[in-house]
Amino acid sequence: MSEAAYSLKESIRQLPRNIKESVSRRGAGTPDQERAAAIFGNIFLHLHPVRVHVNSLRLSYTFGLGLISFFLFLILVASGVLLMFYYTPSTQLAYRNMKDLEYVVSYGVVLRNAHRWSAHAMVAFAFLHMCRVFYTGSYKAPREFNWVIGVCLLLVTLLLSFTGYLLPWDQLAFWAITVGSNIAAYMPWIGEKVRFLMLGGNEVGQMALLRFYVLHVALLPVITVILVAVHFWRIRKDGGLSRPLND
Amino acid sequence: MQQVAKREEIFPRDPNKTYSLMAIVEGDSFQVERGPDDTLQSWPHLMVRELLLFLLVFIVIVGVSLVFNAPLEEPANALHSTNPAKAPWYFVGIQELVSYSAFLGGIVAPAVIVLSLLFLPYLDRNPKGTGVWFSPDRKIATLLFTVFVIAMIILILIGQFVRGPNWGLYWPWA
Ligand code: HEM
Repeated sequence: MSEAAYSLKESIRQLPRNIKESVSRRGAGTPDQERAAAIFGNIFLHLHPVRVHVNSLRLSYTFGLGLISFFLFLILVASGVLLMFYYTPSTQLAYRNMKDLEYVVSYGVVLRNAHRWSAHAMVAFAFLHMCRVFYTGSYKAPREFNWVIGVCLLLVTLLLSFTGYLLPWDQLAFWAITVGSNIAAYMPWIGEKVRFLMLGGNEVGQMALLRFYVLHVALLPVITVILVAVHFWRIRKDGGLSRPLND
Repeated sequence: MQQVAKREEIFPRDPNKTYSLMAIVEGDSFQVERGPDDTLQSWPHLMVRELLLFLLVFIVIVGVSLVFNAPLEEPANALHSTNPAKAPWYFVGIQELVSYSAFLGGIVAPAVIVLSLLFLPYLDRNPKGTGVWFSPDRKIATLLFTVFVIAMIILILIGQFVRGPNWGLYWPWA
């Protein structure tokens, strides 16, 4: 290339295009090549296949249940991060923070509602999604392991919901977690120890609140993100969504 | 026959080789829009649908959140237990089982459920009926799973709505 192409004037003239191309990693191509690059040139979208089978797009096949679970998770992350700005995991303050969300923070009550209802919905939709996968026989080879990852996702979803349940520190939260942790204590031999580990003591108190908080806002969400990434990537690697054999 | 000439030029036939270039297909890609496999480009066909579904979910959640408030009871008090004390709804079915037998209902049943789910794809390996809702080839599997789902739902409904103080039977209107 001639030196002129690197001149300042030329660089400024090309600025928008160069910035766009450096971000999207995409040069011009045929329309189909560009559409393909829109997917595989993007770290988030490349979990998708570049092309999908028409059967996967049929709403009456998946009812979008897995996607809805994922979108609820996204809403939960966004609303959860905002809630963290107002929440302190302390038995002295947690309940007051809830009241402040309701009466002091603008739209605080809507934020809290959105987080709570999405959480319930995510449990329900992950379960419904599992039913869809079962009734369409989509766990058969080569998708066995993705089913296993799905079961782990369901368990993590339940744990996320359960750990979040304690955080408002009201009577509902306190006694629900007391009941839940007592069930764990029925395990033979290790039951009492498991409950102690879970609560950081023999009953639900400050240590339990802190443990549930850390699990709820840090550890479990990270595990979920990793599992979801593997889940989606496996769908592509397993040849897209299941479909009738002779189709 | 320009095709053949082009083919020979790119990949001349060699009698010593067992493979050769069979044909050159003109087009944007080797599957122009709707290929023989019935596939479509993810962008835009899939992505646009995903975006619409996201908007729908978002609107429903915001709508519900504007109308219904999440419950918030009195501050936690370790000295005054609520009666009954209920687990969150997704565990209330297990709690119902616990009321019959703590060990069988609280430990054995959940463990059996989780283990069966984990091992299911390794035990039911017949590929027949994949990709079809309620395939007639999988009548027994469908039946067993439906029994499981309905049992879970009934247990949750009982635990949630007809259990009152001391886990006694209470009708919701009582
Ligand atoms: C947080 C929970 C979950 C999320 C976000 C999620 C997400 C998804 C998505 C987006 C799909 C694409 C198809 C669709 O939308 O239906 C999918 C497929 C699949 N999921 Fe999940 N999933 C979750 C839980 C589960 C569970 C609990 C199971 C089973 C126990 C499972 C097993 C599968 C399998 C086997 C497929 C492939 C289905 C096929 O090929 O037709 N997933 N998942």
